[in-house]
Amino acid sequence: MTDDDDADLVTLIDDELDEDRKKVLLARLETDERLRERYEALRQTGAPIAASFDALLRQAPIARLRAGLPLEGPARALSGRFAGIALRDLAAGIAIGLVVAGLAAWVAMSLAPTKGKEDWRSAVVDYTNLYTNETFSPLNPDLPLQALELSAVGARVGANLTPNNIALPGLRFTVAFMLAFEHAPLGVVAFVDPDGAPVLLCIIANKAPDAAMRSEKRGDLSLAWWSRNGRSYLVIGHMPEEQAITLAQTLEKRV
Amino acid sequence: MSEASRREVRAGLEPCLARLWRYALILSRAKDAADDLVQATCLRAIERADQFAPGTRLDRWLFAILRSIWLNEIRARKIREGGGFVDADDALSIDGARDIETNILATQVLKVIGQLPGAQRETVLLVYAEGYSYAEAAAALSIPIGTVMSRLATARAALTKLK
Repeated sequence: MTDDDDADLVTLIDDELDEDRKKVLLARLETDERLRERYEALRQTGAPIAASFDALLRQAPIARLRAGLPLEGPARALSGRFAGIALRDLAAGIAIGLVVAGLAAWVAMSLAPTKGKEDWRSAVVDYTNLYTNETFSPLNPDLPLQALELSAVGARVGANLTPNNIALPGLRFTVAFMLAFEHAPLGVVAFVDPDGAPVLLCIIANKAPDAAMRSEKRGDLSLAWWSRNGRSYLVIGHMPEEQAITLAQTLEKRV
Repeated sequence: MSEASRREVRAGLEPCLARLWRYALILSRAKDAADDLVQATCLRAIERADQFAPGTRLDRWLFAILRSIWLNEIRARKIREGGGFVDADDALSIDGARDIETNILATQVLKVIGQLPGAQRETVLLVYAEGYSYAEAAAALSIPIGTVMSRLATARAALTKLK
């Protein structure tokens, strides 16, 4: 046996060997016991390698890395967007023709607390439009990592999140991470459909009063949301509105 | 186009942080260097967001930036400063007492991987952790596919000695 044999065997294991060499190697494997043993020894290293890299991923100091993101990073962009939305609403609905900046203090004191509870959805809509079918598809955490991410996000927003209770039919969980909106922690649980299209469950600890489920379409996005125990929940994705409601109803019973 | 690029880059950074850090750790074998490398990558990505083509793989674009910074800046600086590299025995390890039994094998595997040359470590990560095909890894690393094959075979052969 040679180093070339190892290379061919590993390439066969990884299903990357071209057809001609594959035929030759498979024929040799049928008759050469030592080669078969070597094939098996090399094959058995695959799972430990994958498990080790998953373990390393769990060591990533996410909070520290997130803190080092540039100011235009996601969490801050989302927080910042609220200011823009509030001012736009003000301009459109109340203060047309007035100097918007001069009313900013009034907005902060009286309008913003009410509007803030509503406008987090607008911010999430803006944000969701930025995600593509490639954003989350490459992420495929193993079960322990899923549990870890969900538990960390759940702790921040005060919800019990586990791989089981967030599992949704036809969707694959990819990642859970934290954003912020108006200083309120906003947890995002990201799924993808079979085409890779993102579907998000967002949970914000915004102290909103309990509210029954509602739904709407915003452009191509469907939203279904409800509030309970000081938290608001939102399911959002490019799908029919009825599907968003069904997913939200499933989660409402479990989360 | 450029505004779409900037927005997509900003939105996509956060979900990639852990994987960027893992790549940085595999390259540098030092956690402080990995932190620096990820931060530098994020800054560079925002600066050069106009160069990102919306709808293409952001993670791979970020990996390419990270690798370039490592090869051209941080590694070079460490060598210049005489900082060298950490002892490979301690380089890649699993912290904490949680899941100790599960982590024993992972730690052993990482120890072996940590002792491989950087080029092999990187190839193993891209193919086995990040799902690059051989052709994609060859393109990302600017090497022939045959070199990808031999690097992976050498790494796996080293791991067959683990008992």
